[in-house]
Amino acid sequence: MKRLQRYSLPYIAWMTVFALIPSLFLILLAFSDLSLFDLGSFSLTLQNFSIIGLDTTLKAMQNSLEFALITAVICFLIGYPVALYLTTLKEKTRKILIALLIVPLWSNMLLRINAWEKIFTPSSIFTDIFGISFNLLGEDIAIIIAMVAMYLPFMIFPIFSVLEKLDIKLIEAAKDLGANDIQTFFRVIFPLSAGGIVSGTIMTFLPAMTAFALPQRISLGKTTFIGNIIESKFRTEVMDFNGVSINQGSMISLFLMLFSVTAFILIVRFDKEGETLI
Amino acid sequence: MKKHSLIRTGLKITGLLLTVLTFMIIYLPILIILVMSINDSTRGFGWEGFTLKWYMALIVPSAYPEMTALPNLIAAIIDTLSVAVLSTIIATILGTLFAIGINAMNKKRRVRMVVMNNIPIVNPDIVTGISLLIIFSLLSFSLSFYTVLIAHIFFSIPYVVLSVLPKLKKLDPNMYEAGLDLGCSRASGIWKVIIPNISTGILAGALLAFTMSIDDFVITYFTSGDEYLNVSTWLYTVLKHPRHFTPAVYAYNVIIFVITIIIIIFINNVRERKEKITHEKTI
Repeated sequence: MKRLQRYSLPYIAWMTVFALIPSLFLILLAFSDLSLFDLGSFSLTLQNFSIIGLDTTLKAMQNSLEFALITAVICFLIGYPVALYLTTLKEKTRKILIALLIVPLWSNMLLRINAWEKIFTPSSIFTDIFGISFNLLGEDIAIIIAMVAMYLPFMIFPIFSVLEKLDIKLIEAAKDLGANDIQTFFRVIFPLSAGGIVSGTIMTFLPAMTAFALPQRISLGKTTFIGNIIESKFRTEVMDFNGVSINQGSMISLFLMLFSVTAFILIVRFDKEGETLI
Repeated sequence: MKKHSLIRTGLKITGLLLTVLTFMIIYLPILIILVMSINDSTRGFGWEGFTLKWYMALIVPSAYPEMTALPNLIAAIIDTLSVAVLSTIIATILGTLFAIGINAMNKKRRVRMVVMNNIPIVNPDIVTGISLLIIFSLLSFSLSFYTVLIAHIFFSIPYVVLSVLPKLKKLDPNMYEAGLDLGCSRASGIWKVIIPNISTGILAGALLAFTMSIDDFVITYFTSGDEYLNVSTWLYTVLKHPRHFTPAVYAYNVIIFVITIIIIIFINNVRERKEKITHEKTI
C-alpha cells in the first residue's frame, strides 16, 4: 500500500506548474514593469499601486465587499434555519429535498442570470400573464436577490452536512444535564456547526465578491465590481496590447488573493480534510 | 413546558417558510428558462405564444437562418461538449490515481495533500482564470481549445479527488496486499481490487466534473482565445450584441438539464439495487 504513494507525486508537479508558479508570477507582475507578452529585463516598481487609489477602483472594491457581505449574511440567515429544518425531516424527504437543491445548479449560470434579467425587466413575462412588473433592473436590491438565489445552496450544503453528522448523544447529554432547548442550541448545536458556517460563509462571500457577469448584467453596467475591472485589465484592454494593464490587473488581483488566502486558512483550520467542500 | 412547545412550533414553521422561500427563489429562474424555451418570441420580452421551434432549431439548424449566424450556437455547443467529455475522462483518471496515492500516505502528509488539493476549489474562479492565463502566456501556449481543455482538467481534478478519497478510506488496505500476494502486479492490483471498490466515488467525481465543465463561464472566458466559444462565453458575447441572440440556447439548457436528471436518477437506482444485493448477501 505504501508504494502507491508515488501516484500522487505528479500531482505536486502539476499544482506547482498551474497554481504555484502563476501565483508567484502574479506578485512579480504586480510589483514590476515586466511585460507578460515580452519577457525581458524589468525593474521593480510600486507604480502599479496607483491603480488602487483611483476612484473607480475604490468604488468597485467597496461595491464588491458590501454586496458580498450583505449576500453572505442573508444567505446565512435563510440558510441556517433551512439546514436545521432539513435535519428534522424523515430521511427519505430530506434526501429528496437536498437533491432538489442541487438540481438548479445544473442550469447554466449565465442563463440563470439572464433569467433574472427577464424577471426584473420593466415589461416582463409576468406583466403579460399576471399584470405585474418588478422593474428592478439597475437597482441594488436586484443584484442582491439574484446573488442570494445564486449562492444560497452553497450556504445550506456545508451547514446541513455538519448538522446531519452531529452526535445525537451530545444533545441528549445536554438535556440530561438540565439545559433547555435554547441553551442546547446555543451551547451545543451552534458551536459544533461552526465548521459548516465557516465553509458556507466563504463559499457564498468569495463568489459574490468576485462576480463580474452578474452585476454587469443585472445593474445594466452601472454597478462595477472588482471583477469587472480585472476583466477589463486582462481581457478587453489587453486587446490593444496595452502591457501596463496586465500589471495593474495583477495588483488588483493580489487584493482579491488576500481574501482567498484568508478564507483558505480559515477552512484549513475548521475542516482539515475538506469534507464540507462538496 | 407549554411555552417551550410553542417556541418549537414557531421555529418549525419559520424553518418551513424559509425552506419554501429558498425553493421559490432558486427555481424561479429555472421556470423562466423553461418558459422562454417554448415562447414564440425572439427577444424574449413577454409571452408571445407557444412554439417548439427553438428545439427544432437545435435538431435541424440548417433550416433556421439565425442558427447559421456568427457567433454560432451549434459550434459553441459542440465545443462545450467536446471539452466536457475529454476533460472529464482525463480528470477522472488522473484524479483517481492521485487520490490512491494520497490515501496511501500517513495522516500528516495526507492532510497536507488535501489542503493543496483544495486550493482551486476555494480560490475564486476569476483568480484561477488569471493564474492559468499567466502560465499559458509564460509557456507561450496560444489560447485555444487546448488551453481551455487543460484549464477544465485543472479545476475538475480536485473534485474527483474529494469524491474518491472517502471511498478509499473505507477500503481495507489488506485487500490490495492480498491481491498482490495472490499474484497481481501492482497495476493490475489497482485495476482489479481498488477500482471496483471505489467505483461509486469515481462515478460521482466524473459526474461532478462533467456538470462543472459544461456550465463553466469564468475560467473558460480567461483561457480561451477568439476562435473558441463555449455556450457560456457565447452567451456573454451575444448578450452584449443582442442581434445574434437566439432562444435556442434556452432549449439547449432544458435538454441538458433533463438528461442530467435522468442520468442521476438512473445511477441512484442502480446504486440502491447494488446496496440491497450486498445487504442481502451479508445477511
